[in-house]
Amino acid sequence: MKAYIMTGDNLGAWLDTLARDFTLIAPVKEEENVILFKPVKGFAEINLNYTNSTVSPKGWIFPQTEEMFYFSTAGGQINLTDVQAPRPAIIFGLRPCDIKGILTLDPVFNGAYPDPYYQNRRENTILVGLCCTRVERHCFCTSMGGGPTDGRGADLLVTEIDGGYGLEALTSRGEELIHRYQGYFTPDQHSRVILAREELGQKLAGQFTRTVDTTGVKEFLDQNFELPYWDEIARRCLGCGICTYICPTCHCFDIFDFAPDGERGVRSRCWDSCMFSHFTRMAGGHNPRPTQKERVRNRFLHKLKYHRDRYDLDGCVGCGRCVTKCPVNIDIRQIIADLQEVAQHA
Amino acid sequence: MRNCQCINPLKPYPATIIKIIDETPDVKSFQMVFDNPAVMENFRQKPGQVAQLSVFGVGEATISITSSPTRRGILEFSVKKVGMLTSALHRLEVGSKVGIRGPYGNHFPYEVMKGKDLLFIGGGIGLAPLRSLIDFVLAEENRGDYGKVEIIYGARSMDDLCFKYDILDRWPQMPGTTVYTTIDRAELGWEGHVGFVPAYLEEINPSPENKYAITCGPPIMIKFVLQALEKMGFADDQVITTLEMKMKCGIGKCGRCNIGSKYVCLDGPVFYLSQLKRLPPEF
Repeated sequence: MKAYIMTGDNLGAWLDTLARDFTLIAPVKEEENVILFKPVKGFAEINLNYTNSTVSPKGWIFPQTEEMFYFSTAGGQINLTDVQAPRPAIIFGLRPCDIKGILTLDPVFNGAYPDPYYQNRRENTILVGLCCTRVERHCFCTSMGGGPTDGRGADLLVTEIDGGYGLEALTSRGEELIHRYQGYFTPDQHSRVILAREELGQKLAGQFTRTVDTTGVKEFLDQNFELPYWDEIARRCLGCGICTYICPTCHCFDIFDFAPDGERGVRSRCWDSCMFSHFTRMAGGHNPRPTQKERVRNRFLHKLKYHRDRYDLDGCVGCGRCVTKCPVNIDIRQIIADLQEVAQHA
Repeated sequence: MRNCQCINPLKPYPATIIKIIDETPDVKSFQMVFDNPAVMENFRQKPGQVAQLSVFGVGEATISITSSPTRRGILEFSVKKVGMLTSALHRLEVGSKVGIRGPYGNHFPYEVMKGKDLLFIGGGIGLAPLRSLIDFVLAEENRGDYGKVEIIYGARSMDDLCFKYDILDRWPQMPGTTVYTTIDRAELGWEGHVGFVPAYLEEINPSPENKYAITCGPPIMIKFVLQALEKMGFADDQVITTLEMKMKCGIGKCGRCNIGSKYVCLDGPVFYLSQLKRLPPEF
């Protein structure tokens, strides 16, 4: 693994250049307390003073709404036209939890039927991670096997160091990016970057206000589907679905047609949510998850058990977005702790 | 295991409706052919698999393929008018264009069933997925591989019996085949059995020996059929059913057809009762 150093001034110039050569997606301060990953024209639009974005950056690989193909039924004939492939992109500034979120989505969109839309964006997007510099009250990535300086999955990992930035190329794609813009970097000959990142990691590790122990929780859920505990949670849940929209690992989607003139239209997909009753309701009226209890249970079982059953990966990365945004303060960390307690008394 | 040979599993292939059969007041069967003969040739479904039907501008729905794979050159879907997409399908005519993608899902274990007697138990439109296997087994090239075939089928009324030409005419004439038909309530002009399917099943009381029972119908019928089969001594791995769930993608990504950690679109729709009993009761 090769490391490089860049001055603070060069970061801006480099990002300006990247914005010219690629679609550059980076954190932007949309309004007070709202940070979003968006395409930017240059460094001036980027805000680097953030712990994490309001919505996860997964949307640049798996868009909130994505056109799949256009159709025309004019003249009694069917014509299907593919959408234009997106331009190569770079996402700059992904926090480690969100990189892990993308690694969590990867096997869903691969498998027996690789999803061509996801695969195309994934292959054409370079991930530039950025180590965290602080820990918020809702953060719990270390409880889910990650860490604020654990950039695994990124092509390039950036760490703030004294007088500038350290860059580590974690993949050949990251190495190529460094090579292409080598004028901006100098090789790190004294392991400054790795030492700085390790020091930062140790410092931040002590700043988590709440950690949880997931040991045995999945195994308990394997044996216990029916729990009165889910009634408790469901009574509070409003079913608003915000947790699923901001989550970096939720992948559910709907597919819909839009044809304003009845003949020409587009088939798209858009994020959907297991919190909604119509999500599983069949045309004939039968609904296998008829109340909020079944829906809440499905969401938490998906995160803590089903994703591990299918892909051997945790379904939660500990970003804490759902913890801060839930209007009724349903906190997955508390749920994990409660399940530990329920398991002990079972 | 991947079934469809397509490059983009989410993009349907254009097809044309070549025949429509009015089965009941709210069920029609649609025979469809892909517009590209190579796509038709390469579409190799197995009995019990499903496909996604598109009415462009309206959307898609998952429908079981009711025709047997032994019938090459066409695909047949029997569709009850219950929602937006199925209502749109019912408005189409011969010559109308649709989209089809698939086949998806697992299939009835027709290899394992070789040498066995088969008992089919269907209710209403639930006969549609069973029919792909019935006609596969009864096809001349396969008939010798299987034992006796019994079919118990019921519907609310005479009008609601699907595939009357099969259950009343064609199947009873096939060698080694017995068809029992029932309707829920007595009706003028009906001389056959009257009563619900599970009760009729108990009355017929088929022996479980060397036999597989395959059932599909409304959830309430399936529930009582499974109870009746258990009472008659059928073991859980002799009983097979096929499930319906709301699906969007059909390829295990859109997240809604899961029962526990199984996706009905990938791991189903066909399940042994022994498998179902290991899943959470969410269907």
